[in-house]
Amino acid sequence: MIKVLFFAHLRDAVGEESLTLDAGGKTVAELKADLAAIYNLPKMDTVMTAINEEFASNDEVIRDGDEVAFIPPVSGG
Amino acid sequence: MNERYSRQILFPGIGKSGQEKIRSKHVLILGAGALGSGSAEVLTRAGVGKITIVDRDYVEESNLQRQQLYTEADVAEKWPKAAAAERRLREINSDVEIHSVVGDATPELLEELVAGVDLMLDATDNFETRMIMNDVAQKYKIPWIYGACVGSFGMSFSIIPGKTPCLNCLLRSIPLQGMTCDTGGIIAPAVQMVIAHQTAEALKMLAEDWDAARTAFVSFDVWRNQYTSMKMSKAKFAGCLSCGEHRTYPYLDQENRSKTSVLCGRDTVQIRPSTPREISLEQLAAQLSTLGHTVKGNPYLLSVEMGDQRMVIFQDGRALIHGTKDMTQAKTIYQRILG
Repeated sequence: MIKVLFFAHLRDAVGEESLTLDAGGKTVAELKADLAAIYNLPKMDTVMTAINEEFASNDEVIRDGDEVAFIPPVSGG
Repeated sequence: MNERYSRQILFPGIGKSGQEKIRSKHVLILGAGALGSGSAEVLTRAGVGKITIVDRDYVEESNLQRQQLYTEADVAEKWPKAAAAERRLREINSDVEIHSVVGDATPELLEELVAGVDLMLDATDNFETRMIMNDVAQKYKIPWIYGACVGSFGMSFSIIPGKTPCLNCLLRSIPLQGMTCDTGGIIAPAVQMVIAHQTAEALKMLAEDWDAARTAFVSFDVWRNQYTSMKMSKAKFAGCLSCGEHRTYPYLDQENRSKTSVLCGRDTVQIRPSTPREISLEQLAAQLSTLGHTVKGNPYLLSVEMGDQRMVIFQDGRALIHGTKDMTQAKTIYQRILG
């Protein structure tokens, strides 16, 4: 199992701050696509991902026990 | 060093030598909205030698809730933010050389302004300008500090050319905007938290305490009590066109720029002439009044009511068309008045 954390508007869209999922072995891009489909999330391509508090690219593979955080870059200032 | 900075000098991270370094530095702040007005105040009070602040907009009532340099008088006069900021910052600290620029942060303007600049602070409200800043920073080897917020959420990351990944490494393209800034609102504490992160890093860099610099990307939500720090050592992208080996600085290229843009969070379209033009606001005001339009203005800009829309025209020919998000409609209105 992995833990997934959501920030900003993603948290609102999912309705939870975190989820526990069976997604070990998937890439970041695959997990993004799955979540986008289930929760009808807006475009996830440019959402930044941290695995265990370290920046991860879209092709990185998630392992069982990882904590994945999705952080959407925001533009307001 | 005088009494004014004594408490900052007492702080071990800065000290007397750090204060002298801060005093010798020039900071360019891009944007004079919520983040820009807050950061400018912190750095002005801290005694930075010179601050240049750039902004294309003017002060409106909805700014006052969080944009700490501005007053009701600035709203009444529709004073440009950069000029209003300069006026207030001079009152706060006459030791600091303050230079304001009322204009759009185009690549040409930034490349001109960065001469002699030690650090750039991001206080813009859009990724297009940030990507331009990112390319300018890489080209001229100037550190810059990204900061942004929406709702109760904020984030910051320091970008040091040659050391850290750059914004283009992280995003690879300009993110789609508008999903949150139009609807999410913003609260002042989220702004202040971003300012605190950006200006703390700025002081470290200006005092040249590089070992203390934060290398992680921070993001936080002050309402939902979330705080996360992301290590960035793996984020550098070798093929990055802004900081990689085969760099082209793509965002400094004219082709990648729009002349027309919808302003974030506002029912407003900006139109910029392809080459800057010098407009006599006085003459234009007289013509428009003769045609029966309601016209208001100050030395920097002219505001014209036109039915449901309102157009604000700056001296360089740039205009903001309020009351629409439709670029075609905005262009039509612009061309009707300015050709």
